[in-house]
Amino acid sequence: MPRDRAGRRPEGAAPGPRQGWVASTTLHVIGISLAAVSAGMLACSLLEALTSRRDTAALAVSGLLTGVAGGLLWYLTRPGAIRKRQVFATVAWTWILITAVGALPFILAGTFAYGGAGLVEQVVNSLFESASGFSASGSTVLADFDTPGRGLMMYRQLTHWYGGMGVVVLAVAVLPFLGVGGLELVSAEAPGPSSDRLTPRVSETARRLWIVYIGFTAGAALAFFAADGFSSLYDAVAHAFTVAATGGFSVHAESIGHYDSVAVETVAIVCMILGGTSFSLHWRAVADRPLPYHRNSEFRSYLTMLGLAATIIVLLLWLENGLPLGSSIRAGVFTVVSLGTSTGLSNATGPGSPSDYVLWVAGAQLVLLLLMVVGGCSGSTSGGIKVLRMRVLGLTMLRSVRHTQTPRAVIPIRLGRDVVSETVVSRVAGFFLLHFVLMACGLLAVTALEGDLESSLGAVVSALGNMGPALNEAGPTSNYAAAFSQPARLVLALLMVIGRLEIFPILLAAMDLAVRGRAALRHGPVSFQHLSRRLESFTESRSDDP
Amino acid sequence: MSWALASLVDAGLVLGVATMLCGLAGIGDDNADALAFGVVGAVCAAVAAIARRRVAPPERPTAGRVFAGIGLLWTVLVLFGAAVYAGTGSLGRFDDALVESAAGFTTTAATLLDAAEASRTVLLFRAATSWVGGLIAVLIAVVTLPVVLRSTALIGYTTGRRGMDLAPNASVGIRRVLILYSGFTAACVAAFLLCGLAPTEALVVGLGTASTGGFTGRVDSLAGYGTGTQVVAAVGMLLAGAGIFVIWWIARGRLRPLWRSQELRTFVLLLAVATAAMAVHRGVGWGEAGFMALSMMSTTGFAVADWTTWGTSATVVMLVAAGIGTMMGSPGGGMKVMRARLLMGSAGGELRRQLDPYALILVRRDGEALSQRTLDRLGGHQIAFVVLVGSGALLLGISGVSLLGSVWGSVSAFSTVGPAMGEVGAYGRLEGLDWSGRLALVPLMMGGRMTIPPLLAGVGLVLRWYRAAVRESRFRARLAIRRYQTRSESGNGDA
Repeated sequence: MPRDRAGRRPEGAAPGPRQGWVASTTLHVIGISLAAVSAGMLACSLLEALTSRRDTAALAVSGLLTGVAGGLLWYLTRPGAIRKRQVFATVAWTWILITAVGALPFILAGTFAYGGAGLVEQVVNSLFESASGFSASGSTVLADFDTPGRGLMMYRQLTHWYGGMGVVVLAVAVLPFLGVGGLELVSAEAPGPSSDRLTPRVSETARRLWIVYIGFTAGAALAFFAADGFSSLYDAVAHAFTVAATGGFSVHAESIGHYDSVAVETVAIVCMILGGTSFSLHWRAVADRPLPYHRNSEFRSYLTMLGLAATIIVLLLWLENGLPLGSSIRAGVFTVVSLGTSTGLSNATGPGSPSDYVLWVAGAQLVLLLLMVVGGCSGSTSGGIKVLRMRVLGLTMLRSVRHTQTPRAVIPIRLGRDVVSETVVSRVAGFFLLHFVLMACGLLAVTALEGDLESSLGAVVSALGNMGPALNEAGPTSNYAAAFSQPARLVLALLMVIGRLEIFPILLAAMDLAVRGRAALRHGPVSFQHLSRRLESFTESRSDDP
Repeated sequence: MSWALASLVDAGLVLGVATMLCGLAGIGDDNADALAFGVVGAVCAAVAAIARRRVAPPERPTAGRVFAGIGLLWTVLVLFGAAVYAGTGSLGRFDDALVESAAGFTTTAATLLDAAEASRTVLLFRAATSWVGGLIAVLIAVVTLPVVLRSTALIGYTTGRRGMDLAPNASVGIRRVLILYSGFTAACVAAFLLCGLAPTEALVVGLGTASTGGFTGRVDSLAGYGTGTQVVAAVGMLLAGAGIFVIWWIARGRLRPLWRSQELRTFVLLLAVATAAMAVHRGVGWGEAGFMALSMMSTTGFAVADWTTWGTSATVVMLVAAGIGTMMGSPGGGMKVMRARLLMGSAGGELRRQLDPYALILVRRDGEALSQRTLDRLGGHQIAFVVLVGSGALLLGISGVSLLGSVWGSVSAFSTVGPAMGEVGAYGRLEGLDWSGRLALVPLMMGGRMTIPPLLAGVGLVLRWYRAAVRESRFRARLAIRRYQTRSESGNGDA
């Protein structure tokens, strides 16, 4: 059906079959997201069928179920006017649903059915793995890397890739008629204090971001393929998904350490640094010339932070841990970049190897912990508080220093040449505080569920920052199943999703639920007035169509 | 700098008299120590008394000077204490003496002294340092900062309306605080005496309770004392942690402000939650759990058991309690309950503002709405708090302390608690740390004691001096270049 530039149907035109019955942006976006995930599952089932054939059925059934559910939601609904409250609810529910649905292939394939694990434990582990995948964290409970088929392992990598750029951004990209609330949806999901609009149209911005993302992934895959001596395209693509999304999953138990190759590690380092950089900046680098990187103050701070941390750690490893300088540089630089970009890949070849950072001196581990909190650039696929926010926070602190000398002075906060509005400063400070409150609550919850303090601290920081490996029992050469109880794993999974959505959407969705719950308690689950109002609005919306 | 000098002279006078009294009390136990401390105290008091006649505080000191003065005051006091410990031979090494002195004045219950071996004079002096430190902290919070910061929108650091009630002006405020603090200490000491403690022990524990210093006369803190002593200590910690305003209201028999205080309600609620969490989840006895929750939140640092073995969740509860700390106007440290409340209110407001960017969201303190500017500044200080604690942990980690010990030690030292998980342990023994780890604790304890604004002011002064020095050196360099150019040009002209 012909539509105008804003995607509106011409007046008097009859509604087509794709018009949908119910006006609900939330359900519509969920439908598109589920359809996208199902496409990935089906593609991986095809790969499984062509290779190991072990988990083909699990992937195909999951893909079909998800596809049918998503397709129905997509078909039966249409986007309507969306309020701010619904924006956050949409993003939060989309993520919660795709995490739940994303666990299906693992459950049906029995990926975690080893070691006498019961159904509940399998479901918990599958949910954890799915949450870790979609949130691009990379924490794993998988101990057996040999049994699952290639398709399933690729699906595991693919969850990272979907989550990295964000399924809602994908939904907005393929949803040209979502005028109202599009920017809010992207902002609610995109990492960083504000979304960077590349074009006036949000859907076009989202589409461009996905183009860069796909291009970057393809480039990374080629680079890995070449660095590994053109031996395995499967490995190269799998790791490209990880580095593009700054995820951390690998198809090998030893992660990048499996190759024990400086070339592969170098490619991984470069790709991780680029993955932790704003994708808007990558688009500008492709579209505009000269390269905009050196002009971006956040990027400069990001590189400075990584450089400084790497120098401290290399020195500590060399002088305190007694490692040779070459090993210190190799282990230190890779680990700093991996954790500083919130990727979480490891080049440790096994427990006790130089890159097994749980054996490093406390000072080095603390530097890593701080890096986990900070994360990469805003607008990138990385997690953490973000370098831009840290800069605003640092400048806020410096302003406090100046206010002690001149209490009445009006001191604006500047990033480069731009003055940061006080609204953004307040929002960043609020975010920082909520981040720490959540960290404390998470730590209390995980330790109450029988985690040891060091592992729990590392795991909570890692989960909120979407990092992957943590400290002590949950370090780079071990896994979360051994370190945490089942309920603790669920708490960590929730923290990963909260961290991926940068706190606000999930909290606001929870607040919304609480408000609705209170209203339901007051008026009964569905009040008569509410029902009649819904019926009235539904009738009105249908009567608009001739 | 005359405000700083005047404060220093007053503090010196109190400290001199206290040291002299410690010396007098030690006669008959270790006469050498008694004589040394008596002489040092007498000299200090005499010098301070003479200087007091010559130094007059200015009427309206600027905020920057007051903050700088506070920094100077704590530094001189700690150096004085270190000189006394080292000079009298109580601690052989100056770095150990510095750590002990800093722990004392900052009311941090971490020590290198072996209480079983130390003389009565030394134990009393150590307790006196924490008492003087606590007194100065209360005076700064109740008198100095409200007077100085009245117009600077740093309301989170001033005491608001109730501050005006207790300290309508500086001289009345100082007098009332002195009376209340001394009276409260005397009540604690008397209660401990009634519990059957020896006079010296009662004095040491009483001073440690009233000032939230946490020092006792034994190596295992209060674990070896009777139930009565522990109950008295718990009540004392509750009042000390609740602060001088609560003591003032109780002394005046005013129950209405007690009931209406949001901060007090939050303090009690947090204590109850922390106690219940430890008792219910970890199976710790309610008495022990309550005592330790009080000890951590009041940042006193007493221990009735080795709580480091209570399980991880209990230790996290205590870490959070120690981080939040006491109420405004208390000699204890930490972030302070009121500031934590305001910051939570501010964060909640930001959450609601996500839904409605133009919403007018007010954060109130005891019914008084705070401006966004005030909240922003508090936010800035909160960031500084986290950055300083993080830097402290990093410093401890680099100096060889374990990861857990670094994080816990940094929070504990910055909140002026003392005991910590890891090398320091439940009784605040610093022997487990090497010299670098111990020294790393000194700036943390002092930073926590100074509170954030003076600390930031110190940084601001250093930055200002640095900028001025850079500007001057640039100017000199430019001048030198110009002179050189002029000379070379004139040289060429001559040629």
